[in-house]
Amino acid sequence: MKAAILTDTTKCNGCHECVVACKKENKLPLDLPRRWDLDDGLSARNWTSIVEGPQQSLVRKQCRHCLEPACASACPVGALHKTSVGAVVYDAAKCMGCRYCMMACPYGIPRYEWQAAVPYVRKCVLCYDRISAGRQPACTEACPTKATIFGDRDQLLAEAHRRIRDNPGVYVNTVWGENEVGGSSVLYISNVDLSFLTGGHSPGTKPLPSTTALAMEAVPFAFCGVLTLMAGVNWIIGRRMNPQKDEPDE
Amino acid sequence: MNRVRRLKFVLWSLLGLAASVAVPRFLFGLGASTNLSDANPWGVWIGFDVMAGVALAAGGFIVTATVYIFKLDRFHAVVRPAVLTAFLGYAAVAISLLFDLGLPWNIWHMMVFWNPHSPLFEVGWCVMLYLAVLALEFFPVPAEDFPRLAKVRAVLVKARLPLVILGIGLSTLHQSSLGSLFLIMPYRLHPLWYSPILPLLFLVSAIALGISMVIFESHVTAYLYRRQPESEVLASFAGASRWVLLIYLAVRFGDLLVRHQAGQLLAFDWRAAIFWFEVAAMAIVPIALFWTSRVRQSRAGQWATASLVVFGVVLNRIDVGGVAHLRPDGAFYLPAWTEIAISVGVVSAAVLAFLFMVERFRVWERRPADPEQDPLKLPEFDAVDDTWLGVPGIAARTTYSMAFIIAAAFGFGFLHVEAAETRGLEPIPVHQARGGRDILWIDGNLDGFGVTFKHVEHEKREGAKQSCVKCHHMNLPRDEGTACSRCHGDMYLPSDSFRHDWHASPSGGRVACYQCHARGQARTAATAVACDKCHKDLVPAGAAIKVKQYRAVAYTEAMHRLCIGCHVKKAKENKKPEMTRCDWCHKDKRQVIDSREIVLRRRGLTGINVVLPPPDAGGK
Repeated sequence: MKAAILTDTTKCNGCHECVVACKKENKLPLDLPRRWDLDDGLSARNWTSIVEGPQQSLVRKQCRHCLEPACASACPVGALHKTSVGAVVYDAAKCMGCRYCMMACPYGIPRYEWQAAVPYVRKCVLCYDRISAGRQPACTEACPTKATIFGDRDQLLAEAHRRIRDNPGVYVNTVWGENEVGGSSVLYISNVDLSFLTGGHSPGTKPLPSTTALAMEAVPFAFCGVLTLMAGVNWIIGRRMNPQKDEPDE
Repeated sequence: MNRVRRLKFVLWSLLGLAASVAVPRFLFGLGASTNLSDANPWGVWIGFDVMAGVALAAGGFIVTATVYIFKLDRFHAVVRPAVLTAFLGYAAVAISLLFDLGLPWNIWHMMVFWNPHSPLFEVGWCVMLYLAVLALEFFPVPAEDFPRLAKVRAVLVKARLPLVILGIGLSTLHQSSLGSLFLIMPYRLHPLWYSPILPLLFLVSAIALGISMVIFESHVTAYLYRRQPESEVLASFAGASRWVLLIYLAVRFGDLLVRHQAGQLLAFDWRAAIFWFEVAAMAIVPIALFWTSRVRQSRAGQWATASLVVFGVVLNRIDVGGVAHLRPDGAFYLPAWTEIAISVGVVSAAVLAFLFMVERFRVWERRPADPEQDPLKLPEFDAVDDTWLGVPGIAARTTYSMAFIIAAAFGFGFLHVEAAETRGLEPIPVHQARGGRDILWIDGNLDGFGVTFKHVEHEKREGAKQSCVKCHHMNLPRDEGTACSRCHGDMYLPSDSFRHDWHASPSGGRVACYQCHARGQARTAATAVACDKCHKDLVPAGAAIKVKQYRAVAYTEAMHRLCIGCHVKKAKENKKPEMTRCDWCHKDKRQVIDSREIVLRRRGLTGINVVLPPPDAGGK
């Protein structure tokens, strides 16, 4: 199964039960406002939040668990990785705190424990322990209106398209997360345009790891090329400067 | 020699300042010592120290390539200083990284846990290897002075060519990969800077910067040590640099045209302005200047133009590293002085190490005269009254250590200890709850999330006038129903409700020490008489809460204890468990807005006196 979450923003009434359940499940610390917080409610101590979108819509914000996560591709030590069940999880023991994942994430999800002398990156891990044990994440379990539901990605996608089809005029005809940056495990359907979550523009359908892939794949070739070129140039110039010594010493 | 000594004095002071700042960085973490935030996870330590630092150290591979690969022997004079600069530059980058990394003791993880997809992984490895290569390339220089190391030196001298080639390979990789770092954030980096060929642009500009850095450094050290710069060699470098810069300029603008972003150039916003400023400083103006043979040949011309290129490329790195990023609205980043102090301190350390090396070893063809040795001076006496004017010339080391220690002391003095201790929990003064006596709007940090406390209802329910003392447990002298915020002054931190100095002042009754602190005892809060010894009306008769000290707990804590304690009791009595839930009082934002409307409506109906915050009180 490819675990996924579908959030239908038209059903959300903003009760914050998912936020509370998440805090409880992950034993997150007390919620005190900090200087470094963004105003979307997400922080190292809140892995999900409810933000107000256009037309007073309520949108639950959380890690999208991209199918090809930019954070995992960026992390130099592989502390973040996409598991086979679909969650993008974080291995605190590997992390060295470079915060490149925070820079790379197109949704700006990972947050940092700036207050700590031993800080870690914090984000939703799709309740990896729970879903591995066959249970659903704490947030979807807590939702009283079934606005956010858990299931198999393909089935949820079908469900999302069914809802859009069966309720003409209610939804914007897009399932957010179906194709964005190569698709994600967290899907949204909504009556408003959700691109405000990414600064008003869609991040495109190209998976972000592919942007650096070309440069990274060229590395060994470039390296060998430069070495060969330098050695060759050196050899040729060396020969020209000593014309009497035609054959170099073997 | 005084130029060198003055410079060293300044550098040691800056180093002292940085040393003091390093303490809170490692004691309290990044939040307390930087202005970094979730919106700006990378700051000046990446943008300047790492991005610009690596580029500034590019001279090493340029010069070694010129001399050992292209065998242009006339450039030999600048090889040693260039390699030394590169080595120290990379060492500075590594040290800065230790400050910037959240978990610097895990920096070795990069060697063990591999992720070859990550450009940062590649940069890290290259920098690590190149630092080792540079150390080996430079090692023969200090080894000259130690006959015991002759054998090692001979091996390294023989291995020079492979080392140089390896160094060039590594440099090419990571100079360009620093650009690749930003390829993964197309939505974040402004289109004037974001480009798929960012790695190429970075490599070409690093080459130009490396050349200029050699020129710049040669002139600066020539000034410091009053020696002759290698002017002719530098003129050739200046000539080469204009071509590299021209190629860079062509590629940069060609790229903008190909990507159809050239229109952005004419946009009248500050990003376009920065772009033009940057490109003018790093390429356009230097190309024009270096194309003039008089500028190329003159010391001042070389120096000024090279400085311009250095400035421009460093600005480019800082722009790509942060200034040109598109951020969530309102998330502005300006480095904290502590961040700048560390950056400057690391650079100072590198410069000091450079000066030490050139004075101690044969980095230049001719070692400079020892600048520390003062000509022997006689004690000076004042001409008028023959007062001895002190020891002439304190030994240089003493001066430097003094500079270091005094600067460190100043640094400690400037540190905002409270900010460091509270770690980003900034004191938010609680404004007196607004709304008169009927309905209070309690919103200590003015963020729009607050509690509408129905004072009049509580008062009625709890038994009118007799109920005041259930909450108002302490009133200021000659006051009744003192607002909570008078003592519970901060939302999250305990505060001091006792005004000690005021009591000693004439307006406070000029209370003498012994009137409160018994004679012969330590004058502490514990030994002082209680406030109600004098202020009989401080604690109202029958107050439910007994206050023993003048230190008030935080505002939230006080409210929570008071309200929740009562609500828990009432919930049981009235069988209404929802009364104890947070959202019973703290509605979410939307409900706050709703209750605001309810209150407004009610005011019209029943004439209840409510003063609400202005509708835009949300963003402070």
